[in-house]
Amino acid sequence: MPEQKIKKVLVANRGVPAVRIMNTCRDKMIKTVAIYSTPDRLAYHVFLADEAVHIGEAPPHDSYLNMDKIIRVAKERDCQAIHPGWGFLAENADFAERVEREGLIWVGPPPNVIRLMGDKIRAKRIAQRANVPTIPGKENIKTPQDILRWMEEDEVEFPIMIKAAAGGGGKGMVRVDSPEELPLAIEKAASEARKAFGDDTLLVEKYIERGRHIEVQILADKHGNVVHLFERECTIQRRNQKILEEAPSPSIDDDLRTEICFTAVRLARELGYYSAGTIEFLLDPKTKRFYFLEVNTRLQVEHGVTELITGLDIVSLMFDIAEGKRLPFTQDDIYPNRHAIEVRINAEDPRTFNPSFGTITRLEIPQGPGIRVASGVYEGAEVPPYYDSLIMLVMSAGADRYEAIRVMDRALSRGLRVEGVKTIAPLLLSIIRHPDFISGNFSTRFIEEKYEELVRAFREKTTDDEALKIAQYIAEVSALGPQPWM
Amino acid sequence: MGYVFVRPGMSPAEIVKAVRELPGVAFVSVGMRDAGQSDYKNRLRIYDLKTLAPYYNEMGLFAAECHGGARWHVGIMNRRESPFEEIAILRELMPNVLLQTLIRETNMWGYRPYPKNIIEYVVERVDIDVWRCFSFLNDVRNMRTVAEVVMKRGKLFEPAISYTVAPWFDTKYYLKVVDDIVDLCGGVDEIILCIKDMAGVGTVKSVSELISAIKDKYPDLVINYHRHITDGLALPVLIAAVKAGAKLIDVQEDTLCRFYGHSPILAVEAALREEGIPVNLDRRLAELAVEKVRDWIRDYEWAESPFKGFDHMVTKHKMPGGAFPSSFEQAEKGGFLHLMPAILKVMSLYNQIVKYFDVTPGSQITWVTCSGIVNRYYKEFGEEGVKRVISLLEKFVEEKKQDFSAMSPEEQEELLQLFRNAPGDFKNLILGHYGRLPVGWPDEWVYKSAFGDAWQEKMKERRDDSPLESIPDEDLEALRRQLEEEIGRPATEEEFILYLMHPKDAIDFIKFREKYGVAPLVLPTKVWREGLKKPGDRVDFELDGKPYTIELVSIGSETDGIIHVVLKVNNKTRVFEVATPRAKKAEVRKATKPNEIGAPISGTVWRIGNPKRGALKVGDIVHKGEEIANLESMKMENPIVAPFDAQIVEICVKLNQMVEEGQLLFVLKPIEEEKA
Repeated sequence: MPEQKIKKVLVANRGVPAVRIMNTCRDKMIKTVAIYSTPDRLAYHVFLADEAVHIGEAPPHDSYLNMDKIIRVAKERDCQAIHPGWGFLAENADFAERVEREGLIWVGPPPNVIRLMGDKIRAKRIAQRANVPTIPGKENIKTPQDILRWMEEDEVEFPIMIKAAAGGGGKGMVRVDSPEELPLAIEKAASEARKAFGDDTLLVEKYIERGRHIEVQILADKHGNVVHLFERECTIQRRNQKILEEAPSPSIDDDLRTEICFTAVRLARELGYYSAGTIEFLLDPKTKRFYFLEVNTRLQVEHGVTELITGLDIVSLMFDIAEGKRLPFTQDDIYPNRHAIEVRINAEDPRTFNPSFGTITRLEIPQGPGIRVASGVYEGAEVPPYYDSLIMLVMSAGADRYEAIRVMDRALSRGLRVEGVKTIAPLLLSIIRHPDFISGNFSTRFIEEKYEELVRAFREKTTDDEALKIAQYIAEVSALGPQPWM
Repeated sequence: MGYVFVRPGMSPAEIVKAVRELPGVAFVSVGMRDAGQSDYKNRLRIYDLKTLAPYYNEMGLFAAECHGGARWHVGIMNRRESPFEEIAILRELMPNVLLQTLIRETNMWGYRPYPKNIIEYVVERVDIDVWRCFSFLNDVRNMRTVAEVVMKRGKLFEPAISYTVAPWFDTKYYLKVVDDIVDLCGGVDEIILCIKDMAGVGTVKSVSELISAIKDKYPDLVINYHRHITDGLALPVLIAAVKAGAKLIDVQEDTLCRFYGHSPILAVEAALREEGIPVNLDRRLAELAVEKVRDWIRDYEWAESPFKGFDHMVTKHKMPGGAFPSSFEQAEKGGFLHLMPAILKVMSLYNQIVKYFDVTPGSQITWVTCSGIVNRYYKEFGEEGVKRVISLLEKFVEEKKQDFSAMSPEEQEELLQLFRNAPGDFKNLILGHYGRLPVGWPDEWVYKSAFGDAWQEKMKERRDDSPLESIPDEDLEALRRQLEEEIGRPATEEEFILYLMHPKDAIDFIKFREKYGVAPLVLPTKVWREGLKKPGDRVDFELDGKPYTIELVSIGSETDGIIHVVLKVNNKTRVFEVATPRAKKAEVRKATKPNEIGAPISGTVWRIGNPKRGALKVGDIVHKGEEIANLESMKMENPIVAPFDAQIVEICVKLNQMVEEGQLLFVLKPIEEEKA
C-alpha cells in the first residue's frame, strides 16, 4: 500500500476533541482546518486551527453532522484528510465511506468495520465467533413480551438493560428493574436511538450487578500489525456516561490483564482493524469473568490516560497509520510505567447533572508536575446549549495510583477554577477523596450508591475565591453607592 | 497586667468577690455596644471596634458590653456581621476581658417572647461571660430561664431593674423588684444587680435614695449603675450613685459621646478621682483608646441621629437612648421627621395611661403606637389635627387626671378611637402576652379603644402568667430542617441560632455572606459603605494570612440595567457585572406547588404529550405515570410524567421552547378518586 502524505487535515469536530487533534497536528506540521457552527464562531478550536470555515447553524444536523458541506470544505481547502475526533461523525460509516470515495483520507478505522461494529447485534455475533465471551441477551426486541419471553427462556432475572443496537455513549440505554417499567423504557430507548443514530433497533441484555467497565486500547496499522496499549478502567459513570477513567485498572491482576488484552487483540485481528480503537468489556467482580460489550471504532475521550502511561501519542499514530505507515514498534516495546487518571470536566450541575451553559467568566487551568489538561474552552468563552457538555479533560500521572490520585486532588482543589458555568468538578473531587475509590472498591453504580456522601463532601473554597467575592461586593457598592439596607 | 482584676473563666462568686474587694469602683465599657446603639444606629463595625480591644485587654475594665441588645439584629441585617464572629474576634484580641451581653429576658435579642426551649438552646450556646438581663415590665418571673441556664453554665448573671422616674415607680416599688431578683437568684453572692436607667432620667436625689435603700437591705449586693446622658445631667448622678454604694459604672470613650449614650470614660475617671474615689483604670490606656476612636468615628457621621443635642424633655417622654437613633431613622424614612416633637409629646402622655418601661420591646411598642396616632391625625386633619389630639390627651391626663367620665361625650368618643389602629404588639401587651404590667393593667376604656365591641371577650383572654409558661415549645428539629431547606445545605450551629432569633433576616444574612464572603469583616468602613471612588483607589486587606489588594480601574456606564466594573484583584484585571435596580429581570415562572409541574432540568421542550395520544391541550385528562412532555438536554431525553391523575389546567410552555430547571411547565388539577 503506497504511503500518502497528509499535509493538511480538516478536523470535523469542535471543543475538546478538535483542540486535542490540532495540538498534535501542530507537532507533526500538519495544517488544520476548523469548522464551526454559528454559536461557535469565537470558540477555542476555531483560533487554534490554521484556517476556519463556517459550516452552518447551531443544530448539529446543520453543522457538525452536515456531511456534504464538510466534505466540500475539505476539498475546497485542499485537505488530504479528515479527522472526525470523537462524537458527531466519528462512527458514521456512511460518512467514512464518502470521505474515501471522494479521494480523501479517513483518519480512522476501515469504514466497513465501523459499520459492522456500529450494529451491536452483529458486533456481538462476530465477537462470539472470535471466541470472545459475551453477555446473555436477545436481539431485535420490540415489545415487553419479547423481553419477558427471552428472560424466561434464558433464565435471566431483572435488572436488564435495553440498548440501541446502533448505540454508544449511553444514549438509548435504559436499565429496567421491573416488568412495569418495560413499556416506557422501550419507548424511551427507541426514541433516543432514533434521534441519536437514526435507527431504533433495540436489543436487551442481562444487567451485570456491580460490574466494572474495562476497555483495551488497540492500535493497528494497514499492514496487519496489531498491538494493544493495555487497558483502562472506566467504571466510574453517571447515567451510563464515563466521568473518570484510569490506567492501569485497579480491578484486575496481571494474569487477567494479559487475558483481556490478548482477547482484544484477537478480536481486532478478526475484524481486520486498523487505526485506533477500543474494545470494551464488562468485568463481573464476583466471578472475575469478563464479557464483550462493544468496539468503539474511534479515538476515545479517555485515550489520554493510555498516552500518559505508555508515553505514546495515539493521535499522531492515527495520522501515521492513515498515511499507510507501519507501526514503529511491536508489542514487546510497550510497557506502561505510570498510573494515570482522567476526569471529565462537564459543564453540569454537580448535584443534578443538569447541563449548565453560559459564559465562562473565570477559568484557571491546573498546572504543575504530573498534570495534563486538554481544554476546549478559554476564559470568556461561551458554552452553548446545543452540544456535549464536556469542556475540559484533566489528567494526572504518578508512579502509582495513590500518587496519581494526589496529583489529581491538587489539580482539582488547588488548580482548577471555573466560574460562570457549573461543572462537576466538586463531584469529581469528592469521588477521588472517597475511601472506597481510593481502595479500589467501586462499581458502575458508585455514584448512585454514594451520592449523598459525595455531595455532602462538596466544599473546598480557596482564599482566591473568597477574595473574588469581596471584589464582587466592592464592584457593586462602587457602582451603586451606599445601599438602603446599610 | 496590674489593673486586670477579673477575667474569663472565673466563677461568678469569684468575680463578685473581686468587685466587692475593689477599693473604689470599676468601669463597664459600653463602647462596643450601647454607645453605638444610642448614637450610631448600631452601625459601628467590628472592623473598627476591634481596634480598641488591645487597650481594653489591659486597662482594668470590669467588662466590655459588646453583644446583645439590638446589636445582634442590626449586625445581621445591616452590618452583615454575625455576633458569633464578633465574639470570636474579641476573644482573640482581648482574652482578659469579660464579654458582656444585654438580653431581654424572654424576648432575648428579638422583640417578642421566645418559647422556653429556644431560650435554653440559645443561652446554652453563646459564649458570653456576663449576662445582663432586663425585663421591660420588671417581671422577674420572665428572667427565670435565662438565669437558670446562665448560672448553671457558671457564667455571671446580672439581672437589671428597668429604672425610670415616675410617681408610681417609687423606691418601695423597686425594692420589691430587687427582692424578687434576690429570690430568683438564691442570694446576692453570685450576681451583680444592674440599675438600668435607659433613658437617663435618674436624679442625684432619686438615684442616691434608691441605691442607699438597696444597700441598706442588701449590703453585700454589688450594684452597677447604667445611665444614659440624654438629659445632660449624667455626671453628677453617676458620682452620687457611687457615693451611695454603686461599685460599677457604665462609660464609653469620650470621643464616641454624642447625646443619647453614656458618660465619657476619662471625664468620669477625673471627676471620681477629684472626689477621692479610686477607679480601677489604666488611664493612659484609656486615653489611647479614646484617641483611637478618632481614626474611624468620622466614617459614621451618616449614621448619627439627625435630632442633635441633649434633651431634658426625656424626663417626660422617656424615650431610651438605645431607641433614639432607630426611631429617628424610621421617622426620616417615613418622611415624618417634622412630627417628632409631637410624637415625643404624645409619648409623654401615653406613658401615664399605659404604664411600663420604655425599653425594648416596650419602647418599640410605645414608638409605633404613638407615632401611629400622630401620623393618623396628621394625615386626616393636618397640623390642626396633631394639636387637637395633644390637647385632648393633655386635658384627659393632666386636667382630668384620667377620669374618663369627666370627658365630654365627643371627647370620650375620640379617645375610644385612639388605640383602634394600634399595632398588634400593643394589643398583645395589654392582654398580658409579654407578662404582667408593672403597676397594673390600664383602664377599661383602653380596651374598648383597642378592641371595639369585642373588648370584653378580649379582656377575658388577658393573662397574668409569664410567657415562659404560656408559650409552647417549638420543634427545633423541624426549624432546623426549614432553615436547611432555605439555604440548600446543612446549617452550622451558629447559623441555626441566628435563624432561631430572626428567621427571615438570618436567611438574608447567610445568603449575603455566601455571595460576598467576609467582605463585612475585612473592608475598611469607607470602602464598605461607598466602595472605591476613582480609578487607582485601592483597598488592602489580608485573607487567611495572605495579602490582597483590590484596585479600581473603571466603572462603566449603565446599559440595560448593567454596569461593568473593572477591578484589579492582586494585579489581575477582572470585569464584574453589577445589576442596578433597573436591571430587567427575566421573569421565569417556577413550579412551586404540588400541582405545578416544573422542568427537572434545563433543556428544550421537544414534545408536549406522548407518541401514543399525540399532543396534549388544556382540559385533557392525564393519568398517573403518563408521559406528558419530553425535554431534550445535551442529546438526552427526559420524560415528564404526570404525578397523579389530573386535568391539565394550563400549559405554560411552547413546543421547542428552551426552559430552565424548575421552570413551570404545567398546572394540573388533581382528579379526586371516587370513594368506593
